Amino acid sequence: MDLWLNKLTNLMQGMAELSENSVSTAIEAYLSDKNVVETIHNQSTELIMLQEEVSDLAVELLVRYQPVAADLRFIKACMEIAYGFARFGRYAYDIAQVRDQFGKLSDCDHSMVANTADEVKRMIRSSIKAFNDRDVKMAEDLRKTDDIVDSFYRQNIKRILEGQIEIKCAISAALILRYLERIADHAVYIGDLVKYIVSGEKAHL
Amino acid sequence: MLEDEKITIKSMLPTNKEVQSTNHELILGRFKIILDNFSAYYSGKPAIKDISMKIKSNAVTAIIGPSGCGKTTLIRCFNRLHELISGATTSGRLLLDGENIYESGANPITIRRKIGMVFQKPNPFPTMSIYDNVAAGMKLNGVRDRRKLDEIVRRCLEMSALWDEVKDDLNKPGMSVSGGQQQRLCIARALATEPEVLCMDEPASALDPISTAKIEQLIDRLKQDYTIVIVTHNMQQAARVSDYTAFLYLGKLVEFGPTKQIFENPTEKLTEDYISGRFG
Repeated sequence: MDLWLNKLTNLMQGMAELSENSVSTAIEAYLSDKNVVETIHNQSTELIMLQEEVSDLAVELLVRYQPVAADLRFIKACMEIAYGFARFGRYAYDIAQVRDQFGKLSDCDHSMVANTADEVKRMIRSSIKAFNDRDVKMAEDLRKTDDIVDSFYRQNIKRILEGQIEIKCAISAALILRYLERIADHAVYIGDLVKYIVSGEKAHL
Repeated sequence: MLEDEKITIKSMLPTNKEVQSTNHELILGRFKIILDNFSAYYSGKPAIKDISMKIKSNAVTAIIGPSGCGKTTLIRCFNRLHELISGATTSGRLLLDGENIYESGANPITIRRKIGMVFQKPNPFPTMSIYDNVAAGMKLNGVRDRRKLDEIVRRCLEMSALWDEVKDDLNKPGMSVSGGQQQRLCIARALATEPEVLCMDEPASALDPISTAKIEQLIDRLKQDYTIVIVTHNMQQAARVSDYTAFLYLGKLVEFGPTKQIFENPTEKLTEDYISGRFG
């Protein structure tokens, strides 16, 4: 079974790398006003295919080996974490679509998105590192960072609602902030699953 | 007003005697078998070492562990079959419904009637018919009334999910049916003496998947009326059929708990290594 588990681990690492890259590329493109929708769409599609591959492999492992204990927890968590990575890809695509649909956004103030994006990218990296290293402390800390992202989100939405920002910039920023906030939530779920793999404890949401 | 309230509340509380009685009933009702520092020996050499555990009534408890860890010895102690081996002894207490079955004066025959046993290899009485295999125990107990015997045989064969398959062949030899049917016949035979506990020593290890599934369904149904202890080498079977699992290693109880917890998140590394096949 160890060979199969290694294969699953490799798949997960591939997904982790691709999903992190997708989100970074989409954010950088937005901040530098570039249209990368096609690239990100391809990456998002690839992540969905990889998620299916993880799911198939996990089911095959369950059928062939009927794993228990830590192996079972790892496989179960991989299925859910792969979904999380696929969601990263999907939100990256949503971010890229904003620039594609709204057109040129270079006149907008990107500072609100930039600050939140930095935290979110850090959360993605931490969730992946926590998963690779089975680092429960790092996984638990994701909740604290998520509180910061949530706080940024509320403050920025409040700022947008004050109506001082040009409508196109306001809507695009609000959409992207929402996508970033959701990405942060998925990073937290990944952290919860890391804790489950290591200790068997499930997060109480 | 305050004083009245005190009196009312006090009158609602049970007395010490009532509390003791309730606890006693709770303990007896919840746990059918209690092992208290129980050990078993072969010629002075311990095979079961100082085990304490409580086996819940109307639940399936699986005993798992590597070959030679003492699983079979343990369940053979439950109905005092262990002592039939020359040089075999025990120490500690083994309570059935709160009574120590190893106390001097306890009748092993009565205990064996209360705790039925089903073995790995189906072992119907070879010269007897299906009907007589089931009725044999009752006949030995002096039941001669044919109508009563018919009733018991039918009920036991129905409970062991065999009636529909053999009702027209009751006079055929017990050995003439398939292996899976023979094992269910042995279960019917064990049920005929109206036991309270059913111990099964790898009851499906010699059976094909279809017969195994039937035995497992049967175990699930029987736990409504019986306390079941099953020894198995098949981890997946233990995970499927049992409510509680005990892991034994070198005669010691390493871990005992709800099956879901043992198989998803065991506390002991030794349990984890054993159930995930990474032993040694």
